[in-house]
Amino acid sequence: MVNTKNGSDIQAEKGVEQKRLNRIKKITQNFFLHIHSTRIHPENLKPTYTFGLGIILGFLFLILIITGVVLMMYYTPSVERAYQSVKDIVYLVPGGRLIRNIHRWASHGMVFILFLHLARVFYTGGYLNSRRLNWIIGVSMMVITLFLSFSGYLLPWDQLAYWAVTIGSNIAASARELTDLIGITNTLDIGGFMKRLLIGDETVGQPALSRFFTLHVIFLPLTLLILSGVHFWRIRKDGGLSRPEISENARDDRPEKEERIYTWPVVMWIELAILISISAILLITAFVVDAPLLEKANPAFADNPAKSPWYFLGIQELVSYSAFTGGLLIPLLFLIFLISIPYIDKENKYIGLWFSGKEGLRIAIFSLVISLSVTLAQLFVIVRYGWLRDWFPNISQSLVMVLNPATLSMLCYILWSMWIRKRTGSTRMASIALFSAALVGLVLFTAMGIWFRGPNWEFFWSRASWPVI
Amino acid sequence: MDKENRRLFIKRGAFILAVIAGGVALTSLLRQLFPRSIGQKKRIKVGMTNSYPVDTFSYIEEQKIFIYRDHEGVRAVTAVCTHLGCILEINDEGFNCPCHGSCYNKRGDVLSGPAPRALTWFQVSKAPDGQLMIDLTRKVKPEYKFLTA
Repeated sequence: MVNTKNGSDIQAEKGVEQKRLNRIKKITQNFFLHIHSTRIHPENLKPTYTFGLGIILGFLFLILIITGVVLMMYYTPSVERAYQSVKDIVYLVPGGRLIRNIHRWASHGMVFILFLHLARVFYTGGYLNSRRLNWIIGVSMMVITLFLSFSGYLLPWDQLAYWAVTIGSNIAASARELTDLIGITNTLDIGGFMKRLLIGDETVGQPALSRFFTLHVIFLPLTLLILSGVHFWRIRKDGGLSRPEISENARDDRPEKEERIYTWPVVMWIELAILISISAILLITAFVVDAPLLEKANPAFADNPAKSPWYFLGIQELVSYSAFTGGLLIPLLFLIFLISIPYIDKENKYIGLWFSGKEGLRIAIFSLVISLSVTLAQLFVIVRYGWLRDWFPNISQSLVMVLNPATLSMLCYILWSMWIRKRTGSTRMASIALFSAALVGLVLFTAMGIWFRGPNWEFFWSRASWPVI
Repeated sequence: MDKENRRLFIKRGAFILAVIAGGVALTSLLRQLFPRSIGQKKRIKVGMTNSYPVDTFSYIEEQKIFIYRDHEGVRAVTAVCTHLGCILEINDEGFNCPCHGSCYNKRGDVLSGPAPRALTWFQVSKAPDGQLMIDLTRKVKPEYKFLTA
């Protein structure tokens, strides 16, 4: 056999090989970097595919842990001292106000980005096949993140904290509405059980503060950290992030499609850029906008209106129809729907393709229009003409629970998605229809709660038109 | 008993014991989360009858109740909304909740909004020292009145 390569060629090839090996080693030999694979599909690096949402969430969580530890140095979890200690952080601790602001805005950011991440993974079919497990882990992480935010809200012990958690704990207790209806509250008080589990007493007080503090600073962050580890690990086990599958033929035609690039240093640069960007955004926001701190909690008087943080205002709008249906039943059904998506839809087509192609996009847009019109129409009716109890004063509580804009909207969304299922014969399209409609509904109810509800939870076009009380 | 059977018996026995031990540990751990409630007063003194203005609802912050006094007597009703536990405000028709807009009439019946139940009225009596006493465990009808005149 004739050797066609001369010496310098072999040398060069060896050099290239060595470089590749070094790049791989940079990742594998480092504990913190080895959650990455050594090489990555270029598809996954397209900014319009992931938008980097997952890694942003990771960084926000990191920032929250660091600022949280700093805040913990000064915070005292006692009913008498909590409010004053937060005031001390704001006014006496050097840079304390900034740290607290960063902590607050990062948590808001985390909740917001979390929903975007959920939507991204859903619309690109990231729950299909073996990724089913990781989808469910992700949904659990969502629940934990929301509970982290909720528990963090009580800690400052101001009016917002006290009444948001009073409302929250009574939502847990509102299972009584159901048991009252069946007449078994005296023997099986599920609502009371959940409320006591949550706040350890009949009303929000020291036991509630101690519980929420413990959950907020150790139990929930630790759980989230562990789940994050599993979440990242599953991505690797599932063969990287979801991406379009390339058929055998296509692979022959376009071999460059399957070529993977080395993680070091490209991905590192990208991640560093993301970290710097969100740090900058957070710093500027925290510098300009202060985290609210109302008056000290007063169990004798509620603020009017008593509004929870923005991401729970959708649920608060729903509970203004019925506590049990809006606060427990519908969120629970939504959660069950999210978890069951990979079991309803097992079509393996179009993984890694936004909306699974043009048809899915069309259906998503239709769902948006349908959801908007159905829910807005009902919101119009309830604001303009009132609802059942205004028309029939003696109507039974069960009807109030069953028939309201929340349940009727949900029913419409489900019917719409069943129709899509029949029309297209595709469970994926039906899922897209239901998910999109539900998401739009959630946004609508949330917007209603944030901008259009004022004192006594009445409708107002803007905050400027609120009456002076 | 042959060797195989003995091993199986020990295995199963160990498994069952482990399950029981785990169950007991978990139950006692869960039980920890439900303390016996202490210091919840069942009967409370709210001062002399004369300290309340006539023909109007007065709010008692400590116990979160409204006292209504007229020329004949005194009545007491909870000030906590049956919906999600906010403190009610008094208006011309009766009560309204600032949190989610439930409205009640002066008898405590639900007029509008998401409240699932009417307001609870409590029994009023007089303590030996002459103060009014409210029994939070005794629920009465809205018409019930402790006659003072």
